[in-house]
Formats: sequence, structure tokens, C-alpha cells
Amino acid sequence: MSIAGGLIARNRSRFDGFPEPLLESYESSLRALEPRLTPTQLEAWSRGGLDLMAISLRSWESAAEYFKAGPQLAESTPWDTYEQLAREAGDLTEQSAPLAVSFLRSAPATLTHIGPNHLAQWADFGRRLYKGNWKSSSLAAQFYDAGPDLFSTIRVSHAGRLVLFLDELARHSYELAAACLTSAPEVLGRLEGGDRMPFLTFGVELAQTSWADSRLYFDRGVPLIQRVHGPVRERYLTLAAQVARDHSRSVFQYFEDAAHALGEVEPDDHGPVIELAEQLAPHSAYAAMDFISNAPEVLEKVHIDELAAWQNHGLGILASSKEGGEAYFRLQSSRGEEVLDTLSARVELSKVGDVLRLYAKALTGRNISIHAAAVLAEKGIGWVDEERASTDGTTIYLPEVMELYREKDENFAAVKVFTTHQAARLEFGSFTFSFDRPSTLFEDLRPTIQEAPGANPTTEIERFFDLFPDRTLASDIHKIAEGTRIDSAITRNYAGIRRALTRMQREELARRPEVSELPLRQAFVENLVRVSLDGTDALRWPAAQQDAMSNGISVLQRLSEESASVEDTAEATLRLYQLAMSIKNEREEGEEEWDSLPDMDQESLQLDMSDLGGEGAAMEMGEAQEGDVEYESPQDIDFRGDFKPELVQLLMKLRDDAELGDAGQISPDQLTEEQLKELLEKSAEIDLDTLLEGDLQNTTGMFLSNLLKEAGTPTLDSDAQSDQPLSDLSTGGEEGEEPLAPIVTTYYYDEWDFRAQDYKPRWCAVKEADLEEGEDDFYEDTLKEYAALVAQTRKQFELMKPELFRKIKKLSDGEDIELDPAIEWMIDIRTGVSPSDKVYWRRNKVDRDVAIAFLLDMSASTDEEIARRDQQYDDSDDDPRKYLSWWVTKRRQELAAPPKRIIDLEKEATVLLITALETIGDDYGIYGFSGYGRDNVEFYVLKDFDEQFGETTKKRIDKVTPIRSTRMGPAIRHAIHKLSETDAKVRILVLLSDGRPQDHGYGRDRTEKEYAIHDTKQALNEAKREGITPFALTVDRAGHDYLKTMCEDMGYEVVGDIESLPRRLPALYRSLTE
Amino acid sequence: MAPGGLVLAAEEFTVREEPYYLPLGDEIELFEAAFEQRIPVLLKGPTGCGKTRFVEYMSWRLGRPMTHISQGGEAPLDDEGPRPFVTVACHEDLTASDLVGRYLLDTDGTRWIDGPLTRAVKTGAICYLDEVVEARKDTTVLIHPLTDYRRLLPIEKLGQVVEAADGFLLVISYNPGYQSALKDLKHSTRQRFISVEFTYPTREQEAEIISHESGVDLAVSIELAKLGEKVRNLKEHGLSEGVSTRLLIYAGRLIERGIEPRRAAQVGVTWALTDDLEVQRSIEEVVTSIFE
Repeated sequence: MSIAGGLIARNRSRFDGFPEPLLESYESSLRALEPRLTPTQLEAWSRGGLDLMAISLRSWESAAEYFKAGPQLAESTPWDTYEQLAREAGDLTEQSAPLAVSFLRSAPATLTHIGPNHLAQWADFGRRLYKGNWKSSSLAAQFYDAGPDLFSTIRVSHAGRLVLFLDELARHSYELAAACLTSAPEVLGRLEGGDRMPFLTFGVELAQTSWADSRLYFDRGVPLIQRVHGPVRERYLTLAAQVARDHSRSVFQYFEDAAHALGEVEPDDHGPVIELAEQLAPHSAYAAMDFISNAPEVLEKVHIDELAAWQNHGLGILASSKEGGEAYFRLQSSRGEEVLDTLSARVELSKVGDVLRLYAKALTGRNISIHAAAVLAEKGIGWVDEERASTDGTTIYLPEVMELYREKDENFAAVKVFTTHQAARLEFGSFTFSFDRPSTLFEDLRPTIQEAPGANPTTEIERFFDLFPDRTLASDIHKIAEGTRIDSAITRNYAGIRRALTRMQREELARRPEVSELPLRQAFVENLVRVSLDGTDALRWPAAQQDAMSNGISVLQRLSEESASVEDTAEATLRLYQLAMSIKNEREEGEEEWDSLPDMDQESLQLDMSDLGGEGAAMEMGEAQEGDVEYESPQDIDFRGDFKPELVQLLMKLRDDAELGDAGQISPDQLTEEQLKELLEKSAEIDLDTLLEGDLQNTTGMFLSNLLKEAGTPTLDSDAQSDQPLSDLSTGGEEGEEPLAPIVTTYYYDEWDFRAQDYKPRWCAVKEADLEEGEDDFYEDTLKEYAALVAQTRKQFELMKPELFRKIKKLSDGEDIELDPAIEWMIDIRTGVSPSDKVYWRRNKVDRDVAIAFLLDMSASTDEEIARRDQQYDDSDDDPRKYLSWWVTKRRQELAAPPKRIIDLEKEATVLLITALETIGDDYGIYGFSGYGRDNVEFYVLKDFDEQFGETTKKRIDKVTPIRSTRMGPAIRHAIHKLSETDAKVRILVLLSDGRPQDHGYGRDRTEKEYAIHDTKQALNEAKREGITPFALTVDRAGHDYLKTMCEDMGYEVVGDIESLPRRLPALYRSLTE
Repeated sequence: MAPGGLVLAAEEFTVREEPYYLPLGDEIELFEAAFEQRIPVLLKGPTGCGKTRFVEYMSWRLGRPMTHISQGGEAPLDDEGPRPFVTVACHEDLTASDLVGRYLLDTDGTRWIDGPLTRAVKTGAICYLDEVVEARKDTTVLIHPLTDYRRLLPIEKLGQVVEAADGFLLVISYNPGYQSALKDLKHSTRQRFISVEFTYPTREQEAEIISHESGVDLAVSIELAKLGEKVRNLKEHGLSEGVSTRLLIYAGRLIERGIEPRRAAQVGVTWALTDDLEVQRSIEEVVTSIFE
């Protein structure tokens, strides 16, 4: 009998009472193992299983798995492992049979991955997850079940970390842990080997601090991690883990944002960015992560090398003030922006636009606007390039950002060259071409050329271009010629800009394509470009055809003369065109040498000139010849930008027409649509393909309507449009149908963050609009109701008037001698005392030069009544239902006699103030404000400074109602802006409010007042700095406390009821204005 | 240049040597004709375009001493001998009595002293009231009877009326640009004068003036004149007043003394014109475009 048989026989009885298959599997496994194990081992193995069965009621299940597992173990498995397995199984079974079942079931497969040495460790991991309850048991079981999957991807050490993570998570939610465990093999499988450990480490931190994010992390973490450059992933995760350790809020959010941001940064730059962030981390982990998150935005402005300087500055702030530093790296501090601006080499049009506008205006003497080139392209009127400078005759368009160079100065110089070139086109008359005006340098050929019969050109320049069969070539040459003329004029007139211009010309030359590879005619044009860039030394041309080239050059160079006009450009274009047409547009076969041109002395040039067209004969315009390669325009010159004289002249003409039309006259040569279409189709300046997509008909229609809109012409003939319905792209009728919306102008203001001790740049958007008009009843009623008060106020203010002239006495010089001092003088003289010479008096005119702005708080809180404050609703309670019920009861009480609300008092006070101010004649403005959130601070104009008081104002007062929140800071800042625009000597800002600034996001949370109060106070301080006297008038006793903080050393006054207002007003006003 | 002191300053204005003046149009003939007919003259034009220089020049040309009233201040102490003409420091508090005269206290009582206008009326001088709108409104009481057929100066405090001597001519100047609408000249006043309009000279003329007055060579003064022209384009757009020829001359003098042109233009034009940083920057850009 075999050993196995003996064992089976011996132990059969122990299987009594257990299911039959158990014995069967015992038997089969013994037989399977018999060849592998020695008899002793086999017996030991059998004993292991039998012991398992005896442990507990259900332990036979684990024994069953034990028997199954044995034969499944690899043949080479050492005996130790069998023993160990039995030991672990026994141990686990003692804790939980199902756990042991899972363990044993996946053990054979798992062992193939981890090898026998790690068996104990693996078992330990599971045990660690098991806490004695069924949920932990099932998690641990799941862990064992996942063994084969898991270890086919990760190593045991990783698993240890994973277990740590799961364990941590399981303390909060077993479900979450189970879910993560389920996805673990797949998630970790997607990561590269080296990243797994840090990934898990961060996971552990995350689980400890904000476990709820773990699922997100497992679901979305991997692609995020992969956005980070491989070699620094670990450091990134370590950093993120630090945030998790230091703070518990929104850890994953930071991780996600920063990873996203890194994805936008060049992989090579990840290292430096993370290194800088690591330096920040000890001070504030938030700052470190924000630094990474904002890195792409910052790097847009500064070079990676300069990032350290920016970070270093912030680090300094961070070291002294954590909040300040965090705001800095959140990009919510003005200081941060300033530093960034200083470091940044690039020049943004939005920052220099105003300077350039005045600069261009100075140069041209016209009202030039400056806009981004993209604006012009959007208009759809022929310009398509969003990057290149151009002008449409009234506006200069420039690229939005200039970052050609590493230095800010150089970039600005480049923008200036761009601007100067465009301005010079206007200054030196590029667009004032007149066909019939003679040129100054050439003998005019224009009249000698036969114009096409029946042509009816719209503009002068169009008429000129009509002369040419090849319009593209003509347009290119004209562009080069005019560019030459303008550049020379700039060099001559603006010596200071010469250097920058020359530099750009040089750089442009370096960018030119290789001449000798071009077909001949194109090479000719290309050479002209080089000459125009002052690069005569860069010419390459076949020596055999030297004549044409040198003639061309001499023609072009004449345009550099001081007296050259735009008509000379035209004449030069004619000659150059003729020369170009005489050259075949074919490639040279390489027989001839391309050479630089020999030096040409001036005399020979002059001589050549006389040859050209000098004979005065009718000029022949060449036609394209057989065998020509199709002509292609030369590469554009960057700093000269787009040049479209035809379109500009057309626009100018349309504008003129529009103006005439407005004046009620019809210009005799009003353009017809056909003319426009014709121009559009033939002009070389408009690339219809790129202009707009769609069929030509619609495009033409669109183009025309855009053009007309731009020029301000109302509409074309209506029937011309009816036979060709405009496409749905057209916005034709819609604009007119909409109701007249109030015009809203948006202004941006900084906001003071007292924690960071810095401004948040352009934080609040103030939207200014005229207040709706209601009825003038309120105004009239108030006047009637307070007739006595009004009269009293008026009288009080009238009394202030005579004081405008004041007699000043005891002056050493004045209108006349004053009697009393004169007598004293006499006495002094007689008694031998040295007399005072101050014996004159003078009437001094006191100029009342006062501007006063009233700012009415229109927040919802002004809806409260004033009289019964004791019943006031406690606004710290946020429950809207309570509020409503409170309000309803209150309302019911009030129906009989409506109580005064704060806003009513404000309005009544305003009416009285108006009466007073109209009496005294000071300049004043009345504004209301409310809004919700920082993006929506509403600022209503009741009466602007330059507006006359009248019916409109009265009607607007009616519409002053409580609306929403109170963000006082930006409203005050806007009022300051309004006041600064007046040129009064004395400027006063009166804030009429209930004294409680409050808004969404105006502080850490709804109940925090600190932030709002500090910001308001700062705004009032700004007013003082501007030389404006701020004054707060509150109609609420409860508001007293806030006002005390906000108006520390500024005036404030509490007015309990309107009756006391007229009494107070004149005194108040006098103290403010004198 | 004369040292400080009122009397000496007055001496300076008795135009003995021919002042440099480059005629821009027919203003000289006009003025001469007006003078012969004793028609009062109003000179209109922006600051520093040469109004004062023109009157000085005309005063020299017509061979008479000139009374210059610009700035109000102390009355002359000395009433003896040949009439010293007084320069008074000007401000908006210039009253009628500053022009006519006033009583001074003396050991034995009061003593009347003639104001500059009274002196001019009595001696028959050309009397130039610079920036007349700045003065108080009560001065019109004096100007009106002097500038019509009556040619009388009432001295209220003395109860006298002085008839203007034959050579007397009133010339006033007025800058419509920067004064506010409030300070506009009243029609009843302005319609008593013929009005000669002054504008900035053309680029070439201005270059000649700058060159003459500052001593810089013509090439530099052309650039300065160009700068002036460009900067004047900014009037009403950030600048309330264009750059005066005077300022350009100052810049020219600095250049003549060896100051680098860009720097000279900066202190002489850019900073002198405005405190608005944005506008300064724009002018600065024009300067750096024009000067190397």
C-alpha cells in the first residue's frame, strides 16, 4: 500500500460527519502529492489539513481549500512552503475560516508571482486588514482573492503600502476600501513601476486626511500623474503628500489642479518648477501647490529662468506673512502682478495701448485708436491675419502680445517700430493717393496708359491698380515700394527709432528665402524686398540680366528721397512692374552665376533713370508669357504688417458717404453694391477664400454688410438685398428688434485683502448703468410732505451764499485802507513805535468749487424699517422660511401705517440734498449701488456729474429700491473714479447707507464682517489719498459700530430720522466744503 | 539779465534794443495801422507763442516806452522823476485799484499813488494787459471807457477822470485755450478790440526762432520744432495746452550747453508739460523717436 493509501485509511474515520467531497479531495490531493513529497512530508501535510478541520465548526471549508491548494502548488515548491502554508492557514482559520478559504484558494496562483519567500508577508497583509468583524473579513478576503491579479503587476513592497492605504480607508468606509482594492490591479497596472510607490504613498496621506477623495484619486489619479514628467513624478507626489499632511482641506483638488497645470508646462521645465515649489512647501504647502497650478500662466509672461526670481520674491513675502505669500502665489495680489510685470519680457498691448495711442496721435495729429489685430480680423472686412499689424485709416491694429526678444525694452521697441510704421503710413499719406496728382520725382506715366473703357473705379487707388493686367504682382510691388518710401521717411524724420528699425530690417533680411531658388521674376521681386530692407548687399542675381535689376533698384531707391510722395510710389510701381514683366518667371538652369550686384555709383543710377520711361511714350503693360511658372507673392515683412490701400481708401470713402448721409445729403457718387462687388472680386488685397467660408455669393454679402457697418452707413438699397437673401450668418434685423437695453459699462477695481495686506488685482467688476426711470411722484410727494423742511433747508443754504465774498482785513496790500488799523498806525507813528503796515482790506472771492458724489446703498438690508428696531430680524440666522414668516407678520402689522424703511429715508434725504445743492449750485452726482458677488457690482447712475438735474433724475429716484448685497469697496472706488474726473478743488464723497457691508464672497463666509469692513475702510482711505473727503451718513443706529471701524478718522454721522436732517445738513455741508 | 528787484525789472521793459521777432503774417502791419487809428488790440493765442514778444517788439518799433502790466503786487514807492514803469506779479486777484492806484499811509495822513494803468494813460504809453481774463471783473469798469471813443480813465477814489494822452493804446492778450468757460471774455469787452490771432509758427519758422534764441544749429532746432509740432497734436488729448515755443527754446538752450538732446527734451518739454504719467510716457516715446 502506498503511503497515501495508508494515510487515507488511517484517517478516514476523521472525515465522518463532513461532506463527502472533502474526503474525496483529501484523497486526490494525497495521491497527487505523493510523488513530490517524502513520506514524512506527506504525512505532515496531511496532518496540517486534518488539524485545520478540527479548529472550528466551519474550518473544514478551509481544509477543503487546503487540500485543493496542495497539488496546485508548483512542482518546484520547496517543502518549507508547504509547511508555511499549513501554518498560515491554521493561523487564519483560527481567526476566520472564510478568510483562510480565500487565502488558500488564491495561494497557489499568488505564490507563482511572489515566490515562496513572501508568503508570510502576504498572509500578514491580509491579517492586518482583518479586524474581527465581517466587513473587514470580507475586505481581507477580497485582498487574498485579488492576490494573483495584484501581484502580477506589483511587488510585495507596493502591496504593503496598498494595504496601509486600504487599512486607513477602511477605518472610514469599507465600501470605499473595497472599491479601491477592486480597481487597484488595473490602476496600478497603468502606472510605471517607479511611480507606484509614490502614488500609493500619496494615497495613504490622502486617506488619512481627506479619505473621501480617495476614490477620485484612484479613478482619476493615474492620467493626472502621467501629466507630470516621469523623473519628477515622485517628487511631485511627495509634495502633494505634504499638502495632505499639513492641511486637510481640498487636498485632491490641489493635486488635480497642479497636475493639470504641469501638463501644460514643458516636460523639461517640470523639474525646476517642482524644485521651486519644494522650497515653498516648508512655509506653506498651499503656496507650493498654487505655485505649480499657476506656473503655466506665469510662464506665459516670464521665461523659465526668471521664474525663480518671481518665486523668490514671493518666498520673501511668504516668510513674513503666510496669508500674503499665499495670495501672492494664488495670483491674487497686486504685488505678485507687479513683480511678474517687471520680470516679464513680453509687452502686452493692453498695458501699452494708451501710451501708443497718444504716441500715434502725436505723430499723425489724428485721433487714432489702438486695437489688437484680432479685432480687425473679426470684423470680416478684408483683413484676416490676427497677428500682424495694420491700419484701416482710423485705427492702428497691433499684435496682442510682443515677445520676440528676451528683454522688455527690446520688445517695446519692436512694438514701437510696428506702431511707427503704421502711423507713418497715415502721416506720410499712403492712403491719400490721387490718380491725377502729378508725382514729384518721375515723369508721369499714368496719363499715358490706356485705361479700360467703361471702367468705373470706386477709389483712386483702384483706378490705378486697374491699369495692371496682373494685379497681384502690381499690388506686391506697390507694397514694397510704399514700404520703402515709408521706412525712409521714418529714418529721416525719427532718428531715435532708426536703430530699432535697422535691427528689425536686418532680422527680416535674415529670414528671407533663398533667392537663387526662386523663379526669375519672383527673384526680381524678392531682390526688391531686400533693397527696401536696406540690404543691397544681400542681393543675388544672374549677372547676365544685371541691367533690369540695377534699373529696378535705382527706381526703388529714388523713393527714399525726401520729396517722394505716394504718387511717386505709384510711378515707381509702374516702372518696376514693367521691368518685372520683362523678366520671365522661370527657374534658372544653373548655368549662370548668381552674383551680388557690383557697386553702383549714384551717377550711373541717375543715368539709368532717364532711360526709364523718360521717352514719354505710351507705356505698354506686359502680359504673362508662355512657360512662366505661376507667380507667387514674396514672403511678408513682419514689422510693416498688412498693407491694404484699396480697402482703406474704400473705407474712407464709405465713411465720408456715411457722414454725408447723416447730414441729410446724398453724395452724388454714392457707391452702388455692384461697384463694391466688383472691387471685392478683383482686388488682390482680399483673399476671399480665407476671409469667410461659404459660397461666394453669401461671402460677398457678408463682406459688404460688414464693410458698411464698419463705415457707419445704415443700409444699402433694400431691393438689392431682397433678391439675394442674406445667409443666416447675417445679424441684419435682430439688432433693431431687441428692446433698448441700458448701456452697461464695466470697470474693474482691486480689492483689499487685509489678511494678505495686499490688493487683489482687478478683483471686482463694477457695472455702471443708468437707473430705470419711474414716476416723479416720489420726488414731488416728498417735497410736499416736507414742504416746511424743504423751505427751511433752502433758506439755510441760501444763507451760505453771501459768504462767497469775504472781506479780509489787516492785509499789507489791498483795495483800500481800513479805518481802525489806519488810526492805530497813526498813533504808533506819533508815539514813536514802529507801526504795523497791515492796514488794507480786500474782498476775497471764495470760489465755491465743489463736487460732491452721493452714494446710496441699495442693498436688501435697507428694506428694513427704522422705527421699530427692537423687532428687527436677526440676520445672522439664514433660514429663509423663518425670515419669510417674520416678514409676513411684520408686513401685516404694517399694512395700516407703512413704516419708514432705511431706503425711504435715504431717498428722502436725497431729495432734500438735491434741493439744497440746486440752491447753492455745487456740482453733484447721485449714484446707487448693489449687486451680488465680485463680478457683478451694480452701480446705478441717478444723476451724473455733467448731467443737468431734471425730470429724468426725479423719475430715477422713484426706482431706488432695495436690490441685493452691499459690496461697498468697489462702489466707493468707482465713485472715487467719478470724482477724480471732475476738476473741482473740493471733492466730497458721501456714503448713505445702513452701515453694513456684506456680499457673497466678501469675507471668508457669510457671517464674517472683518474682510468687508477692512476693504471698505481701505477704499475710503484711497479716497482720502486722492484728495477726496469721504463722509458716511448712516440712517441706522445699529450700524454705528461698523462705521466706527470703517471711518476711524473720517467723518460720519448717524441720522435717526429725516426731520433732523435739514437741521444737520447745512452745518454738515459747510464743515465739509470749507 | 537784470538782477532781482522791481525797479530794475521795470527798466528792462522800456525796450531799448530791438527784440528778436520773426513775423508770422501781417500782424506788424495790422498793429501799426491799429496804433495809428488808436484802435485797442486784443492778441489771442496759446501760451508761449510770442504774444508778449510781439508787443515788446511793436513797442520798440513804434518807438515808445511801454508799460507792462502783468503781475499784480506792490505799487512803486517813488513818484519822482521820469516815470518808472512797474512790473507787477500777476494773479487772479488783480483788482481795479491795483491798476488805477491807491492811497498809502504817510506820516501826515494818506498819499495817493497812481497805478500802472493811470501812469500809462497819463504818459500815453502802450499799455499791455497780459492774460486779461485772469483779472477781477471790476477791471472792466476801467477798460470800457478807455477803449471806446471816450478814452477816459475814471479814478473813483479821487473822484477824477483822466483823459488819455495821445500815444496811449491799450493792448490786451487772451488765451482762449486753457481758461475755463467761466473765465471767458465778455462780449461787451471783447467787441472793443480788434483781434489778432496768434498760432504756433510753422515747423520751419519755429526752427528759425529756436535756432536764433537758443543758439543751437538749425538741424537740432528743426528736430525741436518737429517735436513741438508732434506734441501739439496731443492737445485736448491728455494735454490742456500744447508745448510753447518758449519751452522748445529752453530745451534748445540746454542742448547748446551740452545737455544730451533726449534729456533736454525730457526736462524741457515732457516733464514741463504734464504730471500725468501716461501722457509723459507718450511724449517720452515721441522724444525718443525723434532724438537719437
